[in-house]
Amino acid sequence: VRALPELFDVRVKARALAYLFGAGAGLGMLTLLLPHDPAVDDRGLWILAAVAVAIAGLIYLRVDRAREWQLHVVLAGGTTILHFANYFAGTSTLYPLLYTWSALYAFYFFELQLALVHMAYIGAGYAVVLAIQDPTSPAIRWLLAIGTPVIAGLLISRMLGLVRGERLEAEENARALAQNEARTRLVLDSAPDAFITLDPEGIIRSWNIAAERVFGWSAAEAIGAPMRTLVVPPEFRERHDERRIALLESADPVATAQFDVEFVRRDGSRFPAEATVSTVDVRGEMLLTGFVRDMTDRERRAEEREALVREQAARAEAERVAELVSGMQLLVDAALWHRTLDDILSDLVTRVRTVLDADASAIYLAEEDEQLRLGAASGGGGEEPEPIAFGEGFVGRVARARQPMRLEDPAVDELPYPALEELAIDSLIGVPLLAEGDVTGVLVVCAAAPRHFTAQDMDVLRLAADRVALAIDHARVYEREHRIAETLQRSLLPARLPQLPGLAVAARYRPAAAEAEVGGDWYDVIAVPGGGVGLVMGDVAGKGLAAASMVGRLRSALRAYALEGHAPARVLEQLNRLIWMEADESQMATLIYVVVDPGEGEIRWVNAGHLPALLLRDGEAPGFLEGGTSVPLGVLPFPEFEEAAVPMDPGAVVVLYTDGLVERSGENIDLGMGRLAGVVRDAPVDPEQLCDRVLGELVPRAGAADDVALLTLRSVPMGDRFRAELPAQPEALSSMRGLLRRWLRHLRASDQEIAEIVTACGEAATNAIEHAGTAGAPFEIRAGFEGREIRIAIRDFGAWRTPRGGDQGRGLSLMRALMDTVSVEPTPEGTTVRLARTVQGTDGPNGGAQ
Amino acid sequence: VTDLVEVETEERGDVVVARVTGELDIAGASSTGAAIGDAVPTSARALVVDFSGLDFIDSSGVAMLFGLVRRLGSRRQELRVVAPLGDPVARVLEIVEFDRAAPVHRTLEDALAGLPAGGG
Repeated sequence: VRALPELFDVRVKARALAYLFGAGAGLGMLTLLLPHDPAVDDRGLWILAAVAVAIAGLIYLRVDRAREWQLHVVLAGGTTILHFANYFAGTSTLYPLLYTWSALYAFYFFELQLALVHMAYIGAGYAVVLAIQDPTSPAIRWLLAIGTPVIAGLLISRMLGLVRGERLEAEENARALAQNEARTRLVLDSAPDAFITLDPEGIIRSWNIAAERVFGWSAAEAIGAPMRTLVVPPEFRERHDERRIALLESADPVATAQFDVEFVRRDGSRFPAEATVSTVDVRGEMLLTGFVRDMTDRERRAEEREALVREQAARAEAERVAELVSGMQLLVDAALWHRTLDDILSDLVTRVRTVLDADASAIYLAEEDEQLRLGAASGGGGEEPEPIAFGEGFVGRVARARQPMRLEDPAVDELPYPALEELAIDSLIGVPLLAEGDVTGVLVVCAAAPRHFTAQDMDVLRLAADRVALAIDHARVYEREHRIAETLQRSLLPARLPQLPGLAVAARYRPAAAEAEVGGDWYDVIAVPGGGVGLVMGDVAGKGLAAASMVGRLRSALRAYALEGHAPARVLEQLNRLIWMEADESQMATLIYVVVDPGEGEIRWVNAGHLPALLLRDGEAPGFLEGGTSVPLGVLPFPEFEEAAVPMDPGAVVVLYTDGLVERSGENIDLGMGRLAGVVRDAPVDPEQLCDRVLGELVPRAGAADDVALLTLRSVPMGDRFRAELPAQPEALSSMRGLLRRWLRHLRASDQEIAEIVTACGEAATNAIEHAGTAGAPFEIRAGFEGREIRIAIRDFGAWRTPRGGDQGRGLSLMRALMDTVSVEPTPEGTTVRLARTVQGTDGPNGGAQ
Repeated sequence: VTDLVEVETEERGDVVVARVTGELDIAGASSTGAAIGDAVPTSARALVVDFSGLDFIDSSGVAMLFGLVRRLGSRRQELRVVAPLGDPVARVLEIVEFDRAAPVHRTLEDALAGLPAGGG
């Protein structure tokens, strides 16, 4: 809640007071200098004027440190000076008029009540002066001196009240408008394509950052100009008008059309573009919005890509020929690139040994502290040797020297590893593995008589070392990226699923077998407003880091929209917009969003290109939830999302999954789905056991070819306790209330009891959300029923703050009024609010489930 | 205003009637307050906030009401609230003693009675 705005800064008020004192003193002195009534006590008035000047100076010097209360004291002091001045000046002068100054100052700068207090002091003081002087008709004098300023003051106060009210309104409107605009701008400015809005006459209304880039005109220049003359080439202007009018006149409330067009940039150059234009009704006015995609850019990129591919192909061909000649072709193997480092190393040492006809070969990898660890060896056997320091033995010397070295008749302690002694090695070559100038390892080959390595062998090995170094480097980078992507994706999957009353949920995620990259499979379980639960299963096209980060954005957006209470179709519309506006052209995602509402006994879903969910109802064969389907997200700008619904019986089971579970290469996917239905039919209905059974039957022990995500839900009888974790954001409160109401109804609490307990818990949860601190941290609600007592604990993971203003104090007193006991336990890790209340219920005790 | 709470306003002569339905918590309180406040022109004599269709209110909603009281008070406008007897909303208003700040009526008719141009 915002207070009324102060119209004046305290410094302004102080300065005005200083001027008032200065002017009053000046005027007083002027009347003394001019001829005047001899009855006036000149000496007293000179002293008062001097005091007033001194006070004026003092205020003026201390303006920056002035406090509101000090102003009141000084103004009262001024009034006191006026009382004395009226006393010294006698009854014949007009000095009482000066009270108006004090009065008007008070009404102008202070709240009405405080101004009236000052007025009362003026009235009382002047009454005393009149009583002492005893002039004729004191009542009339008093009324004139006091009544005039009061009336003028009240008028001023009323006027200022209106100004302040209007200013508050204007400030709030401006703030709301600015917020709204900032949000829209953010979305539009981050769009990769030019986004332009036109009014019905074709005048440009908005122009985003991408439009500035594409056309070369700044928003300031473009807005207000007609689109047709600014960027449309003269020969196309007529067509531009025709299309605009056709769109505006179309009966469809949201008409959309796509055109291949040509535009002119600011510098006069022309470019081909693709324009997607829609009509939008904005408060009764039809506007045209258009996305313009510069196709030259895309054509040029495509050309560059092709050139790159051609160049790479040519280079690969040249290398292939060269390596055929040098006998190293075995090392060039595309399979190397998607294997673990250990696999690559053992492959490499074998190949190097074969190519060089050596008796043994080994690769040592450099660790960070200049130690060389054996990565892989071929020939000889035995245990893993101790690490070798740089400079130690033959291998260490190669690493230190960073040069290829040859050694004949090595001593036993020069051998790379002890097992070679049995092979009677008498010729060695070692070459350093270099990546970007750093020694990343040493490649060494060993031969026993009669084989002796030559200088030519050393050249071949050096060539091999370049390849090996590169392969190792790539493998390391790949492993790191794979790890990051995997970690990122893991962190995006819910760590703990909510335990909602009446709903049991289980989920599994199995990454693909080691060789493939991390995919974009994800799932989520969200408690939605109304007491239901939203199940999400999705698959973002692509792999690796890019897919994982897209999953992250989709997940947080979906959570936000779902918690705001939007219907499934609306949630998917917004996600589609997000992916369409933000992602690059290749981004696409399939997603199924199922809302299970046990209160309504209904399952509703929207399916954007994903595999259908499987539903198992008591006494029926499992069936796939057909219908409610649409294209995947990110394919069309405005696809239709339609919801489908089926009734949900107690005990029903819902299974969501990704294609990795049912797809086999070279097989029709219907077969896989049939297999899944078969397994589910015979599986236990408990979600955890069901997940294990499905994975056990359908996923090979070594891992599937693709990632597999599986999510199962079963509606179960409601228990006497539940625990749920909800995101610490205001939108989650409604979900929590829905859960609590459903649970309390099950316990047969009366309507009034339910309303009161839900209100108290809402206050505790609001506190939790305000304390949570870091965004995205959850809060937890645990509820139990024992005897006749409901016990609820709401816990956040932030620092407790003592209630600040009235609002939070009000929350606490609401909790106390509505519950039997309330306790707040702040700890450094978070705060737990415990609430308890005995319920009478509607029809006697109810101890158990069902 | 979020999907959880809705505000409909109507001008009856000098009186603005704002009907709030749904659930009013911290997620929607400030936007609801702004929506109601914006619907009251400076020329209006009084505002009646009708909570008879509101299913839930918490302290954020109450704070929003107090805010309206202050805002209207500064413009010398009157605020009345409708909350039917026995409703959860009426119970909350009772606990926080909201009637000390502005009158709480049981029906819209009661609230409009005695206001200029409101009753007829």
